[in-house]
Amino acid sequence: MRQSLQASYVLHSRPYRNTSKLLDIFSREQGRRVLVARGARQGNSRLQGQLLPFIPLLLSWQGQGEVQTLTAAETGTLLTPLKGRKVLTAFYLNELLLRLLARDDPHPALYDAYAQTLQRLSGSSDRASDEEAGLRLFECFLLQELGYGLVLDHEVSSGGVLQAQQLYCYQPERGPWVIESKQDCENGLLVHGSTLLALQQGDLYAADAHTEHHNLMLREAKMLIRINLARHLGAKPLQSRELYIQQKQLLKS
Amino acid sequence: MSFSPLISQLIEVLCCLPGVGPKSAQRMAFHLLQRDREGAKRMATTLLEAVERIGHCSQCRSLSEQSLCKLCASSRRDRSLLCVVESPIDVQAVLQAADYKGMFFVLMGHLSPLDGIGPIDIGLDKLAARLDEGEIREVILATNPTAEGEATAHYIAEIIESRAGIRATRIAHGVPVGGELEFVNSSTLSRAFNARTEV
Repeated sequence: MRQSLQASYVLHSRPYRNTSKLLDIFSREQGRRVLVARGARQGNSRLQGQLLPFIPLLLSWQGQGEVQTLTAAETGTLLTPLKGRKVLTAFYLNELLLRLLARDDPHPALYDAYAQTLQRLSGSSDRASDEEAGLRLFECFLLQELGYGLVLDHEVSSGGVLQAQQLYCYQPERGPWVIESKQDCENGLLVHGSTLLALQQGDLYAADAHTEHHNLMLREAKMLIRINLARHLGAKPLQSRELYIQQKQLLKS
Repeated sequence: MSFSPLISQLIEVLCCLPGVGPKSAQRMAFHLLQRDREGAKRMATTLLEAVERIGHCSQCRSLSEQSLCKLCASSRRDRSLLCVVESPIDVQAVLQAADYKGMFFVLMGHLSPLDGIGPIDIGLDKLAARLDEGEIREVILATNPTAEGEATAHYIAEIIESRAGIRATRIAHGVPVGGELEFVNSSTLSRAFNARTEV
């Protein structure tokens, strides 16, 4: 089968044989796939400097079986290159996709969300809260695309609409329950209705400088998504998260 | 065609070298056996000795049979400058190309969360300890311009930032000297553009 000029991102690449690369790609129409890029590590290769992660590419490939052969690569519209901390964040996105997406399972909407998240990352905003909001929305969308979406539109005991001011207890297998006070939350996570509504509407970005309320919302969203993701990630910890933890020990306070 | 067991074994072993496939391994094996048995013996003993004795320099982690490699032991190098590279070959590349008089630190790889390679695997605990010794004033981050290399450079830069009085610099990326803009790939060109300098 021959595929030409498919919009794709490289999620991960590793050296293969003497001069080739094995690429794990995420293509808009074809989903996750493994390609071999022959000779891509040779100094005179046209592909050198092109098959990098986080850059929109147009890839062509052909072949049969599980691993197919890359025949051509073009760089799509270029973004400002990701810098510094943002590269590590982007690796986190890739790790999530590699861990959770099955091969040959197309998710065009998820692809678009991934592209948009990267674009926001490479954008001018340096606010940590914007970066975090973008990550949460992507994770939330990823869960939804995989069929494990969070319950964000109704309360599960009565089926009623969520209220921004109400306190809820979120149980991963079931969804949000109305509770009267913080002490009532057993085997679940305490969240405010406003956090759930913000996730549903895709609006976690702060309008102006951080407020106490916005920080609380981000914290709640983080925990909520983390416990939901953890159920699908299995026991192996996410390496890109480990990096942050290990760095703390190397920093001098 | 089948060879005697020992010859096949020799061919198979030679295949472990980069760029050597079964055909070239076969040529090498026959050359050694037919024409240069002396050379083969020397090669075998040297190989054995090298594998047994060569370890890592205790300071820069580069390959060396002494506990302190030649560069680290030298008294003529500038101890306030430290260049961080990914592999021992990069040390040679920098020495040959640049007029660099400082010290080195070899990571023996790069951070790669997707392959499970973390900071301890590339010796960042040792690097942090070395920064704390207080001799170093500037760290030149010369990791490869790949996504992983970038991530590694930034990760180290943050470790450096948390220590007062040390400057972290990154080598520049851009258009190769003698090249033509038309043929430079767009990601390199966009970087070169973003990091343009005053003439």
